[in-house]
Amino acid sequence: MNGAALLVALPLLTAFLTPSIGRVSATAARLLGPLVLIYCIWLVAGLWGASLPVSIAIGGFAPPLGINLYLDPLALLFALAVYVLILLAWPWTEGTPGQAALLMLLAGSTAALALSGDLFNIFVFYELMSAASFGLIIVRGERAAHLATLRYLVLSGLGTVLFLLGVALVYFHTGTLNLAQLAQMAPDKLAGAQGLAAFVLILLGVGVKAELFPVNGWVPEVYAAAPRWLSGLLAGLVSKLAVLVLLRILVLVFDSEQAQAVLLVLGLAGFVTGELAAWWARDFVRMLSFSSIGQLGLVFVGFGIGGAAGVMAGIAVALHHMLAKPALFYLAESWGGSLERLQGEARRAPLAAALFVLLALSLVGVPPLPGFWAKLLVVMGLGAKGSALAWATLAGILLITVVEAAYLFRLVGRFYSEGEPAHAAPRLHGWDFTRALLLGGALVAAAFWIVPLGHWLEGASQLAADVPRYITTVLGQGGAP
Amino acid sequence: MPIPLDTLFFAGALGLVAIGVVGMLASRHLFRVLLCLGLAEAGGNLLLVLSGYRWDSVAPILTGDLPVGVSMVDPVPQALVLTSIVIGVGMEALAVALLIRIRRAYGTLDGHALLARLREDLDERLGVAPDRSEDLPKGHAPFPAPAAKEQEVNP
Amino acid sequence: MRKAASLLFAGGLAFLLAVLVAKLPFGETPMVLGKQVLAQGAEQTGTANLVTSVVVGYRAYDTLGELSILFTAALALGLVLGKRNAAAPRDPDAGLVLRASADLLLPLLLVVGFYIILHGHLTPGGGFQGGVIVAAALFIPILARPSRGLDHGVLVWLESLAGALFILIGLAALFQDGAFLEPLLGKGELGRLLSGGTLPLLYLLVGVKVGAELTGLLVNLADAEAVE
Repeated sequence: MNGAALLVALPLLTAFLTPSIGRVSATAARLLGPLVLIYCIWLVAGLWGASLPVSIAIGGFAPPLGINLYLDPLALLFALAVYVLILLAWPWTEGTPGQAALLMLLAGSTAALALSGDLFNIFVFYELMSAASFGLIIVRGERAAHLATLRYLVLSGLGTVLFLLGVALVYFHTGTLNLAQLAQMAPDKLAGAQGLAAFVLILLGVGVKAELFPVNGWVPEVYAAAPRWLSGLLAGLVSKLAVLVLLRILVLVFDSEQAQAVLLVLGLAGFVTGELAAWWARDFVRMLSFSSIGQLGLVFVGFGIGGAAGVMAGIAVALHHMLAKPALFYLAESWGGSLERLQGEARRAPLAAALFVLLALSLVGVPPLPGFWAKLLVVMGLGAKGSALAWATLAGILLITVVEAAYLFRLVGRFYSEGEPAHAAPRLHGWDFTRALLLGGALVAAAFWIVPLGHWLEGASQLAADVPRYITTVLGQGGAP
Repeated sequence: MPIPLDTLFFAGALGLVAIGVVGMLASRHLFRVLLCLGLAEAGGNLLLVLSGYRWDSVAPILTGDLPVGVSMVDPVPQALVLTSIVIGVGMEALAVALLIRIRRAYGTLDGHALLARLREDLDERLGVAPDRSEDLPKGHAPFPAPAAKEQEVNP
Repeated sequence: MRKAASLLFAGGLAFLLAVLVAKLPFGETPMVLGKQVLAQGAEQTGTANLVTSVVVGYRAYDTLGELSILFTAALALGLVLGKRNAAAPRDPDAGLVLRASADLLLPLLLVVGFYIILHGHLTPGGGFQGGVIVAAALFIPILARPSRGLDHGVLVWLESLAGALFILIGLAALFQDGAFLEPLLGKGELGRLLSGGTLPLLYLLVGVKVGAELTGLLVNLADAEAVE
């Protein structure tokens, strides 16, 4: 069981060694990463059968004194997604050793975030995830990438300061950092305005990566300047891990009506602004970036519902987006550019156009695709919550979904319309299309097996929302309230 | 009227954060923005290390001659601050390297001017600039930057 | 307008924090973790400096993340700034006084740096603090004699090796049916140089890695003008 630490240690070890290996053989440096990722996938598969949830103490120091890893189905699912998506995005042909090392650092840090059970440990690996993504954006970038990254870095630095202030407030009141112990103390020590303030500070800090409403100005700039596969990774993976740690912190430590209201408001604001901006976008990549902001707003609305239903709704939207957005960014490898170039694209690339239609239908939420079920969970959760704010949010979401449908179907219409653009988009690279197809295939498979998947997700969400279980798992029976 | 010590410490931490944030928002020059970010981080670190302070306590190092009844301060925040300082150093170094490259590519570090140039560059890269050239975009780098723009950069 | 809005936002943030902070229990914090570390730290980790027992003992996993961040920053910085143009002219060497002082400082600073690293588990200091001094020791001669430059290859190998050994020591415990990063070897007598098991060893690796990385950072930044 202690072997779960390998999920973080091995990618980091590989990253440390890659630059030196790259000096000897660039090919070896490029191939080492995928091998380690595959081994990690195998490790996750092995852990899947174990009795979950389980807590693993790093360094043999029992929590709360030492740092612990917390393994539940949700954590393992996200760890698996980390390795699979990075393996899929691996730059086989053009990658440099430096790029390989940075990708392994990204894998290690995101896996660590999925498993972490300690507030400050989350902070450290969140920063590592930031640093690795900065490095990946700029590694081969032009000057625009450098500038966009600097602006991102400064905003993210501001987020770091807020995160630190939030951690300091929490530590002042509780004197501990372990999430389970914090969960134990929170109703007593962090219930009032102080707790809410700490939550908002941490929310804004983590929200930078999660594309939360007021701190997402970097998204369109960075996604436009970065390579497309990397934008897909940032939108599909990095934001989701930020979402997962936010979920843990919310459910365990700051589970209050006010915190949920904050999430509902900010999430709705993100959904509205993101989808409206996407409607105005004149090019494919910006459209995808803004739609990503909108989808993540929907995730936060889901978390704002509260309880196991809220966890399930938010995670369902996040998982759906995790498949759909990277696929769209792989298509953008050749379609990136003005939307006018895509006039009549369905004749030139019928398969890719059909795949886009599938993804667009799922994003809008047309049954029976997974996107529909995810959105339905959010809508039903809001309806069941029943407060005035929840109804207002529900109305906003339904209204803006029309906008989302409008811009996506406008583009679909353009695909199947007559007429040739002055400059057609280039042919899609075979490997890019294959990767998009794999993700799209996963989406279709999810639509077929939606019932067992729904049951599984319901169980996982109930486990994640079960705070007493979390506390006893980490602190033992003595920790029971 | 004597000012309580804790007020002074808190004022220092919060003052640094406030000065830093105001400076980041108000400065146009990117290097100043970066310096202000460093200040704000220092404020955050100070608040974090204050969270471990105890009155009448000594440094958490066992020397064997600790007087009876004297306690030690909390060692955990000290370790945390060490970590967060190192993280700050790494990020600042990366930011400075980016500044050097940006200064060389754009010839300026003025935030407003750079933002306008960034929008132009991105529009160009995404193929929606008003004066899009008629070159056919191709393959993985669909829109090569026109050569003319690179030359106007100051050395 | 924009400035007024910024000031308003920052003022609001400062006011909010001031109100919050006014109620904080300064000097009387709960110290839930801290009390346990003070009570058990020496016994569980064998280091006299309890901050060290937190940094490379209880929270060694955080330290691994921290090392990785520094590594990432150094790597990305090297990639952004690119390789030094071999043909670019280097600055002339400094005068005799500076060169002689640099030669004098190098061994002294190295001794101080490694002293601080090696005594990190006994006295204030440790791998990070000492590593910075080591980096300064290596960088001062480069400033005095820019014409010589520095071999990046050695630094890259040092970084890789120190980082990998840190993880491998952690994994060694794993293969002895322990937990990742569990302290190994005997604890020794509290307060002696050879005490604390593998903790001083981990801190030494941290020191070497930090020293090599910071030197690389500084040299890269100093060479930034000479990149093609």
